[in-house]
Amino acid sequence: MCPHCHSLEFEVAPLSGRGSLYSYAILYHPQHPAFDYPLIAALVDLEEGIRLVSNLSGVETADIEIGMELEVGFDPTENGSAVPVFRPVAVDELGGAS
Amino acid sequence: MSAAGPSFAGKAAIVGIGQTEFSRHAGRTELQLACEAVTAALGDAGLTPSDVDGLVSYTVDPVEETELVRSVGIEEVAFSSRIPYGGGGSMGVLLHAASAVASGAADVVVAYRAIRARSGATRFGGAKVAPSPTASHAGTTAMQWCMPFGVLTPASWMALNSTRYMYQFGVRSEDIGRAVVQLRAYALTNPAAWGYQRPMTLEDHQASRWIAEPCIHLLDCCQETDGSVAVVITSRERAGDLPQLPVAIGAAAGAGLFEQEIASDHYRGDLSVMEGSVALARRLFGSFGFDRDDIDVAMIYDAFSPILLMQLEALGFCGPGEAKDFIAEGNLGPEGSLPCNTNGGLIGEGYIHGLNLVLEGTRQLRGTAVNQIRNARTVLVTASRTGAILTTR
Repeated sequence: MCPHCHSLEFEVAPLSGRGSLYSYAILYHPQHPAFDYPLIAALVDLEEGIRLVSNLSGVETADIEIGMELEVGFDPTENGSAVPVFRPVAVDELGGAS
Repeated sequence: MSAAGPSFAGKAAIVGIGQTEFSRHAGRTELQLACEAVTAALGDAGLTPSDVDGLVSYTVDPVEETELVRSVGIEEVAFSSRIPYGGGGSMGVLLHAASAVASGAADVVVAYRAIRARSGATRFGGAKVAPSPTASHAGTTAMQWCMPFGVLTPASWMALNSTRYMYQFGVRSEDIGRAVVQLRAYALTNPAAWGYQRPMTLEDHQASRWIAEPCIHLLDCCQETDGSVAVVITSRERAGDLPQLPVAIGAAAGAGLFEQEIASDHYRGDLSVMEGSVALARRLFGSFGFDRDDIDVAMIYDAFSPILLMQLEALGFCGPGEAKDFIAEGNLGPEGSLPCNTNGGLIGEGYIHGLNLVLEGTRQLRGTAVNQIRNARTVLVTASRTGAILTTR
C-alpha cells in the first residue's frame, strides 16, 4: 500500500538512469563467492528522487567522490537476469572537453 | 526522583542481574545459556523462579518462552513480549518491563537475551543472503534490496550511512579510532571482557584491515560473542525488601520512525543524522524530569564505532559533527564529562545484543563496576531507537 495515498495500484515507469553518489562503502570482508572484491557498495540518488542501493563499476576506488554524476548500466547475474549498477558519467557526456 | 512523565516512570526497579561467561565458543545451546543467566539473575535478586510472572526478550532471540519456563521452573507467566528492531531495540525490554510492573500486569519480569553470535549457525558479522528463520519480524524487509549488490552484513549496511556521516562533517577514521581506544582502555581491566588485558593503540586501530572503507576497520567492530545476560525487574515497593540496592527505571522510551529498519534502512533523507536517536532523546529528556546534565555514565550501543559518534550527536551530548572533538577532549573517559561504555562496550566487552550494557549500567549504580565512576547516580542506556534512564536518586 502506498503510505501516502493508500493506493493499491502500481505501475512500471521508465527512469532516466542518471543520478549522483549519495554514499558508498568499499567492502573487503566477509567475501561472498557471487561477488568480486573489493566490492563498491553505493547509495545512488536518482534524478527522479529515488535512492537505490547498488554497486559502482568502471571507477578506481581512489577516484570515488560523493556527489559524482552516475549513469546506470546492467550487469548480468544468475538466471539470465540483470541488476542495475552505476558508472561515472563520461566527461564529454557532461559537455566538458573530451 | 522526579514524578514527572508517563505514569510508569520511577515505579519499577532493576533488582537482579546475571550473565554467563562471554566467549567465542560457548559449547552449549542458547537455551542453556539463557537458563544459566536467568537463574543467576534471580539468585542475585534474592528471588526464585516461582516469583517470576513476566518475560521480555527480542524477536530475534532463539529461546522460546515456553522452553525457558519449562527449564527454569517458572509456574505462571502473566505477561510476555518481544521487542523488534534488532540491536536498536535492545533497551526496549526496560520500557516493556517497567510498563508491565507499573500497570500491575506483572510483578516480577525477567528480560533475557541469549546469543551465539560467534559459534552459532550465523555469525553476527557474516553474510546474510536470505532472511533467517529466527530473524522473522525483525525489521529487515529492505535487506532484499541490498542483497543483489553484495551488501550482506551489518557492517556493510551501517557503512553506507557512516560514510555519508564522515563526508558531511569531515570525520576521519582516526577520529573514530579515538573512541575505540577509550572503549578498549575500559575493557583492559574488565575480566569479563574480550578486551581484558589486550591493550590497543590508535596505531593498532589504523593498521587493522578494512572491513568497509572508509569507515570500518576490523577494530571498529564489536566482538562476535557467545553468551547470555538477564535482568530482573520488579516494583520499587517490592525492591525495598530485596537484597540489592534498587536501580529505578526513571525513564524509558522508544522511537521507531517511518522507513526505519534494523540497519538496512537507507532511504530517509539525511543519513548523516540518526533521526531515531534524535526522536528517542526528545522523549527521554522531554517529560521524565531528567536533563543531559544529570547523566553520570552513558551506555551507548556500539555494534560499530561510527554509530557511537552519531548517537552522541543525536542524543544531544554534542552538536552535529562535534563528536570527534568531544571524544578527542577525553569526555568519554573516566574523568570526562560523559564516561561512556565503562565495561568496554560491545566493542571491548562483547556483543550480547546490547543488553549487557544494562548490566554495566546497573553495576555502576550499585557501585560494583570494575571501572567504577565516582558518585554515579544516574545512567543512560541507549541503543539507537530505544533507551532508558536508570537512577538511584
